[in-house]
Amino acid sequence: MLKVSDISAGYGKAQILSDVSLEVPEGKLVVVTGPNGHGKTTLLRVLSGLIQAWSGTATFMEEPLLGCSPATIVARGLVQIPQGDLLFQDLTVEQNLLMGAFVKASWEKRLQGLERVFALFPRLEERRGQQARTLSGGERRMCAIGRGLMSETRLLMVDEPALGLAPVLVQELYSTLREISRSEATVFLVEESFEHVESIADYVYLMENGRIVHHGTVAAILANEQLRSVYLGA
Amino acid sequence: MSVFLQALVSGIVIGAIYALMTVGLTLVYGSLLTLNMAQGSYVMIGGYAALVLFEQFGWSPWIGLVFAVVVTMVFGVATEVIAIRPLVGRKDIDFTMTAWISTLAVTLILSALALLVFGPESQTIPPLVAGTIVIGGVTLTWQSITILIIAFVALAGLSRFLNNTRHGLSVRAVAQNHDAARLVGVKTKQVYMLTMALAGGLAGIAGVLLAPLYFINPVSGDLPMLKGLIVAVLAGMGSIRGTIYAAFMIGLIESLSSTYVGAGSSLPIMFAIIIGVLIVRPNGLFGLQQEDRL
Repeated sequence: MLKVSDISAGYGKAQILSDVSLEVPEGKLVVVTGPNGHGKTTLLRVLSGLIQAWSGTATFMEEPLLGCSPATIVARGLVQIPQGDLLFQDLTVEQNLLMGAFVKASWEKRLQGLERVFALFPRLEERRGQQARTLSGGERRMCAIGRGLMSETRLLMVDEPALGLAPVLVQELYSTLREISRSEATVFLVEESFEHVESIADYVYLMENGRIVHHGTVAAILANEQLRSVYLGA
Repeated sequence: MSVFLQALVSGIVIGAIYALMTVGLTLVYGSLLTLNMAQGSYVMIGGYAALVLFEQFGWSPWIGLVFAVVVTMVFGVATEVIAIRPLVGRKDIDFTMTAWISTLAVTLILSALALLVFGPESQTIPPLVAGTIVIGGVTLTWQSITILIIAFVALAGLSRFLNNTRHGLSVRAVAQNHDAARLVGVKTKQVYMLTMALAGGLAGIAGVLLAPLYFINPVSGDLPMLKGLIVAVLAGMGSIRGTIYAAFMIGLIESLSSTYVGAGSSLPIMFAIIIGVLIVRPNGLFGLQQEDRL
């Protein structure tokens, strides 16, 4: 579904990503993990069109991705849920969700979208008239994920969804993401902690210093003693 | 008592016009984070637009009002395309300051062009509705009542647009979080154009409403611009509701001070208040929370 080949990118003259290649097949939950500040978020920003890659190629549903505007990419069904939620603080929950359906084709179906999201997160329906700034951390995360599901989302890229959440909420969140990956859209996850995702991931890429240093299924990575001690701290 | 009421009414009327004028500054500041110094020019252009239809064809100022809105929206968008867009996202420049200077240049050019085309003399158009009515000892012109109604309808329409429509919500979304807005598919360039069109159109309405009270001449946008800046500083940039409150406060201060202290006293008094407000609340009266935008 998503194929990334040899992408390099950075900010100004500082190179962050070097020759990153990976693949996200439809219906699988793929995770990029590795320490913070090593390029995971930058990779998502490139794929969403927020910044340009220096070199390399990427395709989404067999069509080239790089060089497209963020608006085109969202319209094609590749949606990023950014780190730290980035909700629209002074809009209500409902208005935040509606913004998720900004793409014209989705706007026509915004009421069905709201229904779908409220079925997934009933709490958001109770809070629909409240300003986003008044939500709790867990509710904010639900609102951000719900916003990402308001359009015709085929692939949902989620950046560090566990950040700042209480452990009990983290478990709940990951089972929701698992559910989403089965019923709503393929999920591509960026997550610092391998522990959080080992029970739900189908395939894992390890990223360090802007490079993919290893990849494999969870079982294969757990079986590799060296990887476990060096990267996963286990 | 009736002198006081009279001053109160004219303060509210002038405040309503300032609100129309300054909300545009706030909208543009929200999305572009710069002060559009050409905002006053749209007031002047709005006046001339109505004047041309009236002088050349004898058309009613009501048609002039509609025409003025269209013309000033075009000028707003043109300002964005010519003087702001080329600066957006450029490396190694201070966008806020550079755009401030380039829009100031636009306003000087527009005044010079107006001088070439229309000449230096002050002109005027008839009020939208003539005549007066006396209520409780206070003489109200129908024009003032019309101004209040038009301002109310325009601002209520704006609020509806910003809260309930796809494009209106996108204006607020960009003001509140640029990256998040782009990630849901909002094209920021379109939003910049949209806010500049709205800002232009609202100032154009203000121009037609002001014209019968003051005059239309090549610099007739300068004083409204100055008042708009005072309102914006008093309100603290960013909040539309705060801007509207501040506009009425400035309108009342202006009218009460010229009634009780004397003509010509209102500007120094306003500036004294601004300095006081800036010392006590550097973010303005309604700018307490920096994130509280639009």
